[in-house]
Amino acid sequence: MNKPFFIKSFSVCCPDVELLGNIQLQVSDIDKTLIPVDMRRRTSMATRMAITAAKNACEQAAVETHNLPSVFASLGGEIQVTDSLCRSLGDDATLSPTWFLNSVHNTTAGYWGILNHCQAATTALSAADDTFAMGLLEVCVQLQSQGGNCLLVCYDELWPQYLAPPLGSFAFACALVISLEATGALGSISMPQINVNSAVTFSKEQMILSQSAPAAAVMPLLLALQNKNPSWVPLNINSPIWSSELTIF
Amino acid sequence: MNNNQALISPVAVIAYSALSACGQGNKALYQALSENHSGLAPLELLNVPFKTYVGAITQPLQSLHPELIDCDTRNSRVALTALNDIDSGVRVAIEELKSKYGSQRIGVVIGTSTSGLYETEEAYSELLKTNKMRSDFHFVKQHAYQATARFLQVELGLCGVCYAVSTACSSGAKAIAAGQRLIASDVCDAVLVGGVDTLCRLTLRGFHSLDLVSENPCTPMDRNRQGLNIGEAAGLLVLEKCCSSNANNMKLLAVGESADAYHMSTPHPEGIGAISAMKNSLLMAGLSVDMLDYLNLHATATKINDRVESAAVYSIFADNVKCSGTKGLTGHTLGASGALETIITLLALQYQFIPGTHGLEELEVDCKCQVVKTPLHDQKLKIAMSNSFGFGGNNASVLVGL
Repeated sequence: MNKPFFIKSFSVCCPDVELLGNIQLQVSDIDKTLIPVDMRRRTSMATRMAITAAKNACEQAAVETHNLPSVFASLGGEIQVTDSLCRSLGDDATLSPTWFLNSVHNTTAGYWGILNHCQAATTALSAADDTFAMGLLEVCVQLQSQGGNCLLVCYDELWPQYLAPPLGSFAFACALVISLEATGALGSISMPQINVNSAVTFSKEQMILSQSAPAAAVMPLLLALQNKNPSWVPLNINSPIWSSELTIF
Repeated sequence: MNNNQALISPVAVIAYSALSACGQGNKALYQALSENHSGLAPLELLNVPFKTYVGAITQPLQSLHPELIDCDTRNSRVALTALNDIDSGVRVAIEELKSKYGSQRIGVVIGTSTSGLYETEEAYSELLKTNKMRSDFHFVKQHAYQATARFLQVELGLCGVCYAVSTACSSGAKAIAAGQRLIASDVCDAVLVGGVDTLCRLTLRGFHSLDLVSENPCTPMDRNRQGLNIGEAAGLLVLEKCCSSNANNMKLLAVGESADAYHMSTPHPEGIGAISAMKNSLLMAGLSVDMLDYLNLHATATKINDRVESAAVYSIFADNVKCSGTKGLTGHTLGASGALETIITLLALQYQFIPGTHGLEELEVDCKCQVVKTPLHDQKLKIAMSNSFGFGGNNASVLVGL
């Protein structure tokens, strides 16, 4: 039997709260003060949202960030920077070295490490519509082999709408601190698995938002946690559906 | 003897396949390594406003099945050609594992730094002229990081775990780490892991803007080195949980990972992250420093990487381990390099030789490590390591054993 994974905290950063409609989810706006001015100038919306959610989640869980392993999951990552670079390839002028550095998928992971003086392993992954499910899976698998706590941050910023509409029409970041230790946990989840047990499905609103931002696929899990509703929760919107069994404390 | 306990179970390497400037398949790669024959050549594939050498793949690439044409990119064609290389046997191995475990129990985790960016650049050049994105551009299936992993999953008829790791130049090594963990956690019985990256303008011009690209063939660890040459490659490995049928296969022992937490492009001056990745891999495998027989260096041939890496290596192993850097043969294949160079390290074990460091004439003044210039044959190697260090200070050291 797999061990349960304990959710110590969660936080959502959503700059346009009106898009959430009737979904009663506690969210915050980007908190620029969390990033020092020197670094902030170089960071994108994606990185600022991710860091806001991550900082808030870590604070709520009261975990040390300087030795906390982390998983950053995003479909497009630094897509606005990449878009600017692709546009500037049209002429022969030297590319901006800062833009180039900030176009890598692990940009947020890099800034997060620098900000927290954290030399623990950090990774950046991507899995289209399954990005949240695969990020959560990576965290659980890391915890199972290494123990301790792990930070999951799943995010996507606003994208140019000529790329893959409606993807990127909704900016959303969520962060969860997950642990093998139960102390102070809000609930626990089982190792994500492909199955047909998902009793809870996405509401129409959640589905539309998740089609625009894969990170929003966290909503059924967070709402079940918030409403203290133990259940199997789906982690992605397209078949095969990955799900976890949520237990509430 | 080793008395330490491993912190993660080893997994068996069932098959592997490389496609790079050193040719298609493991035999071609071994031949280039064994003869120290470089695949670097002046850049021809695309236009950039400066001169440089690159490690380009020159043989014909296989075409995608018409049903998967939406996934068609240079990256996916490179991946397909490596997958279908008959001598390497990666495809056959996956088919056998499918009947053994079922298609849901076999994962796909692929590292890449730029995925299908080559095609995106072409789409943008039209977008800038016409203000319209072309209709055959499929962002998620071509450009997005998981595009190649997803293509391989569909091509192989698999339906389990599938994602991309993209941590710049450590992507391929980190994908290997993820594969080992998925097996250790019993989420998968086998995982296709690796790295695939292809040449594109953005990467060439981006590295050039950082003043890191050499106009001439690169010379890793040489005191007069002038920067790196970008390369392209696919490195695919099939990992399976250890069982009686793979008892004699080479093993992936552990991958040590760390972050510098220092700077986005410059490694920590004392190599703290690099040291910690190498030490973590030994710790996780339960091995001591005296057990390493060969180290494939990251050795990009940039001034700072090679200086910091040699100091980091010396601080752990002194001059007791034979090291070499192989980017003078293949170029720096970025997100594929961790996988390609793990394959090179496996070839070193398989053929009991140590690759040379093509381009190295006079060793970096501060380097006190035992850097091998030309290939050494008839070695007795059991355990070997491959280093990968990426932008954002993201490090991984892959440890493999006979």
